[in-house]
Amino acid sequence: NDEIHVRQKVMLVDPEEEAEFDREFRALMQESLESRKLELRARPTLNMMIPMNVFEGSTRDHHGRVSEGESGDEAIDYESGGRKEVRVKVLVKRGSKQQTKHMLIPSDSSLVQSTKQQEAAELEE
Amino acid sequence: EETGDDEGYEYSKGDFMEHACRYCGVQNPACVVRCNVPSCRKWFCNSRGNTSGSHIVNHLVRAKHKEVCLHKDSPLGETILECYNCGCRNVFILGFISAKTESVVVLLCREPCLNLNSLKDMNWDLSQWCPLIDDRCFLQWLVKVPSETEQLRARQISAQQINKVEELWKTNPDATLEDLEKPGVDDEPQPVAIKYEDAYQYQNVFAPLIKLEADYDKMMKESQSKDNLTIRWDIGLNKKRVAYFVFPKEDNELRLVPGDELRLRYSGDPAHPAWQSVGHVIKLTAQEEVALELRASQGVPVDLNHGFSVDFVWKSTSFDRMQGAMKNFAVDETSVSGYIYHHLLGHEVEMQMVRNALPRRFGAPGLPELNASQVFAVKSVLQRPISLIQGPPGTGKTVTSAALVYHMAKQGQGQVLVCAPSNVAVDQLAEKISATGLKVVRLCAKSREAVSSPVEHLTLHYQVRHLDTSEKSELHKLQQLKDEQGELSSSDEKKYKALKRATEREISQSADVICCTCVGAGDPRLANFRFRQVLIDESTQSTEPECLIPLVLGAKQVVLVGDHCQLGPVIMCKKAARAGLAQSLFERLVLLGVKPIRLQVQYRMHPSLSEFPSNNFYEGTLQNGVTINERQSTGIDFPWPVPNRPMFFYVQMGQEEISASGTSYLNRTEAANVEKIVTTFLRSGVVPSQIGVITPYEGQRAYIVNYMSRNGALRQQLYKDIEVASVDSFQGREKDYIILSCVRSNEHQGIGFLNDPRRLNVALTRARYGIVILGNPKVLSKQPLWNGLLTHYKEHECLVEGPLNNLKQSMVQFQKPKKMYN
Ligand SMILES: [Zn+2]
Ligand SMILES: [Zn+2]
Ligand SMILES: [Zn+2]
Repeated sequence: NDEIHVRQKVMLVDPEEEAEFDREFRALMQESLESRKLELRARPTLNMMIPMNVFEGSTRDHHGRVSEGESGDEAIDYESGGRKEVRVKVLVKRGSKQQTKHMLIPSDSSLVQSTKQQEAAELEE
Repeated sequence: EETGDDEGYEYSKGDFMEHACRYCGVQNPACVVRCNVPSCRKWFCNSRGNTSGSHIVNHLVRAKHKEVCLHKDSPLGETILECYNCGCRNVFILGFISAKTESVVVLLCREPCLNLNSLKDMNWDLSQWCPLIDDRCFLQWLVKVPSETEQLRARQISAQQINKVEELWKTNPDATLEDLEKPGVDDEPQPVAIKYEDAYQYQNVFAPLIKLEADYDKMMKESQSKDNLTIRWDIGLNKKRVAYFVFPKEDNELRLVPGDELRLRYSGDPAHPAWQSVGHVIKLTAQEEVALELRASQGVPVDLNHGFSVDFVWKSTSFDRMQGAMKNFAVDETSVSGYIYHHLLGHEVEMQMVRNALPRRFGAPGLPELNASQVFAVKSVLQRPISLIQGPPGTGKTVTSAALVYHMAKQGQGQVLVCAPSNVAVDQLAEKISATGLKVVRLCAKSREAVSSPVEHLTLHYQVRHLDTSEKSELHKLQQLKDEQGELSSSDEKKYKALKRATEREISQSADVICCTCVGAGDPRLANFRFRQVLIDESTQSTEPECLIPLVLGAKQVVLVGDHCQLGPVIMCKKAARAGLAQSLFERLVLLGVKPIRLQVQYRMHPSLSEFPSNNFYEGTLQNGVTINERQSTGIDFPWPVPNRPMFFYVQMGQEEISASGTSYLNRTEAANVEKIVTTFLRSGVVPSQIGVITPYEGQRAYIVNYMSRNGALRQQLYKDIEVASVDSFQGREKDYIILSCVRSNEHQGIGFLNDPRRLNVALTRARYGIVILGNPKVLSKQPLWNGLLTHYKEHECLVEGPLNNLKQSMVQFQKPKKMYN
């Protein structure tokens, strides 16, 4: 038999440690927010346009979904190990250049819920 | 039998893949991220193990690091996580948003980008901002959690081990978990003693403590990198480039001081190459804006203003000089006289008198007349090879020291060396000594030559530049050429350096007195100088090895001035402090039986204000050199509860809170009442420069500054001009009116910082005309000394509560003090 079975130790998190860590964590979070409020005198300008090339080669099919022209892959709903995943494009900047990366994220993530609802709504129209 | 790909898991042999989690050893590229802090760059995984946060989150929180970079083999490739809009890299405020209709997501910071109004009109869905760190773990679809098998094979690390190794990394970034088990890591260093066999034993005790402190200092400073700075460019009078920027200071970090060296960087973009230059801090504004004078003059990207980074450049100079002084003390028999040598080590030596003719009068030209205790101090010190002068607050220790130096210089023993740990104190003393007519040279560190000083005309670099003789013409010409061109040909540079050195030497040798910081006494420019007579002011604020630097230049007569009833040196490394590095040489000599000569007349405080400090810190010996009339604030209409006693304890019941950093405290109620008191002072005719707000906690200091500038009832600028400082940083200074916010207010915990009687002494003795203390008597009264203070205020009907315009005596019950304070 190739498989080994090791019984997982029951994880015990020391409640005192947890409370202390949580306090430090929240402090760091709060401090981060407050220092941003203080340090930014001028609000940054908006630089959030989605570059056109993200849509290049992708077309809206008659359901209103976006699909990629090249591969013909559907943008949503992959099945992976029993979990539904959605393929998304992540925009990142390298210096001033924009780049697009692909990633799979769980379809139950709140992040893609609204996109799906929107699409559903569009479908109903 | 185990399955398949095992090679990747062979971390038990000790050689990790570089990207293995530094806690548990997991090294699946999809599961790890790298901490992006330059001094750290360690990898951690996204599994929790048996701790409450994932390993990477644990590290970021414990080390207070905030930036990460993904692995090159992760789905997004080697990517530093940052806000798509503004470039902010603080992972604690980053999260994903998606486009409303497309499957496109970006990272966006919560403050300010998520709140930008203009963003609402765009195609982004802001309602579903999804934080990068969720439930103390990175989003699992971005950084995978190692599989169960991977986790089982990983090293099981406990929260305690994590804390320990993080602590270890502060001084040794390359330490491994195995190092935790090595003997010595947890060992406490050998503590300081009162007596030492010889100078080698002395060195054996202090050298490791200085090393600990130096390592800690290095880690603290080098971890102070800041990114995304906005620069304002300027050109100084000396034609050098100056960069202005705001350096936001976090709670537990060190404050920058003029002379500190920083590296300014720009990482480059398609239109600009990467660039960096080192520079010195020449100024700090009240708004925490830093002026950095750059070494580079060419290639500075002055057309850019955003996206700069800055790092601290740590220098070991001061620690090297301490180590050097201890070595000299041990190996060089002429470093100090035999008497001083044995006395400093605590050996029994027969009392020696210095045979010098005493002057007829003990005052000095250009200084105020001395009082009886000051005359006594000068007279006694002149006859002894080693003496301690204790100067309680406001007792004129600078004037006494200056008079002493005047008489020492007139004894014909050669040049006198005058030092203090801080530049401010050296400047004050240099000014007073110069007023007596002695020729004074103030030697500044090279890094501080561009820092403005009230005694600039006394500084060596100024005197070299402004020397008015014909011989200097060659030097003068070369200097001008250098100023204009920025550099000289190598032969000219050689000539320039030689001429400058000779001129420096000539000027220094012709001085009666050389003034510099204790560390400055180790400057190579003084290497061949000998000083038989040395006076060190503020000596209770320096460590022993620091004090030793000016002494080992041939001292025969040593005067240490200070006050061991006020705060001592600041030691950052707890281990070194526990071992006794915070004890000054002055204090050890007191323990060895040297009786300090105490100056007894104070000229600062209204007599009502000096009463409690005199009785509790100076055995009631402090006399008042000022009368009630001289400290009557005429024309000021302030609601003191007892009109001729300008003091009150304002009872506060608001809760304390932990500050944002988690390492300090604040108290909102007290802050709000501080603002009300300040406003009342201002309305009654007091000007901002007369008021000082002090508090033991940095968290409260920052909160008060912020609160007053936002909520102050009067013009904002008035509040900005009011100094709000920590008690510690106010040592040695005074203000007409002091408002002290105590902060601590809790049921069960202690009162922390306030427990140190020396801090209370400093806090109570800063005011000249009046003091208001805000605090919770129920909490403070548990400590005996505070209980005494509260009782004192109550007995004088100065313990009050209620609105400022209707203060009523408070009937609050005190608690029984726990134990006597030592
Ligand atoms: Zn780190
Ligand atoms: Zn790990
Ligand atoms: Zn942003």
